[in-house]
Amino acid sequence: MSDQTPVTDTDDVTETPDADNTDEAVDANDASDLDTDGTEPSGEASSTSSPEDLLETEGEIAADYLEELLDIADLDGDLDMDVEGDRASVSIVGGDLSLLVGRDGEVLEALQELTRLAVYRETGERSRLMLDIGGHRADKRARLEKLAADTVATVKDSGERQALTPMSPFERKVVHDAVAAAGLTSESEGEEPRRYVVVLPQS
Amino acid sequence: MLAEALEHLVRGIVRHPDDVTVRDKQLRRGSILEVRVHPDDMGKVIGRRGRTAEALRSVIGALAGKGGAKIDFVDVDRRRR
Repeated sequence: MSDQTPVTDTDDVTETPDADNTDEAVDANDASDLDTDGTEPSGEASSTSSPEDLLETEGEIAADYLEELLDIADLDGDLDMDVEGDRASVSIVGGDLSLLVGRDGEVLEALQELTRLAVYRETGERSRLMLDIGGHRADKRARLEKLAADTVATVKDSGERQALTPMSPFERKVVHDAVAAAGLTSESEGEEPRRYVVVLPQS
Repeated sequence: MLAEALEHLVRGIVRHPDDVTVRDKQLRRGSILEVRVHPDDMGKVIGRRGRTAEALRSVIGALAGKGGAKIDFVDVDRRRR
């Protein structure tokens, strides 16, 4: 019952390693790099339930946590819950929510971080839940997919590799996925926080 | 409202939610939200490299609007000097 000394890091004990992915898997893990201190979770480990059930449970815990915050802050907003691939996703929509997005989504990232911690407290599993507010992430995703499509077209034309500007792990993941869907390959180069995507020509 | 919001955010992530209290202390130079948590939860609310504390400050700062908000973390065993 007693916790260890705080501020030690237990690392990815619950992270399931993706076997056959290269850079994309690394990026995805980066995006979910949820810091925890050295304490044990107090919630029940849901090792008996299926992954889908766990993701739905994550969404419900997250929605409860966020709903009460909206309530207290007297902000209007509806919560949409979904499971996208191997992640739970929750979006807050409606009303003017720019307050909760912040400059460059800074407040959104903070709230996502706290929400993941709230989920972790209940499930004992590190959560990779994605939070979106007012379509901020969806808009960003659309812009990145457009950029990826444009870059793929250029690279197919020129036959030369093209490097993009540095991006966050989440942004790189979106670009990698879009490039792969368009039939080319891409890789990440450079060191965080200036890691960037390079789109490669067909070999 | 800010104190209540902060209390909710902190209670949701700690192991001892009943030990969480937030006081809105009015000082001459403005107000400070003083968060008290169980000593075992101190690491949890601060987070690695202060990341969780930063996240709490960011969200509460956004809700506070222009004036912003100061947050102080204290564990329940420790008296402030």
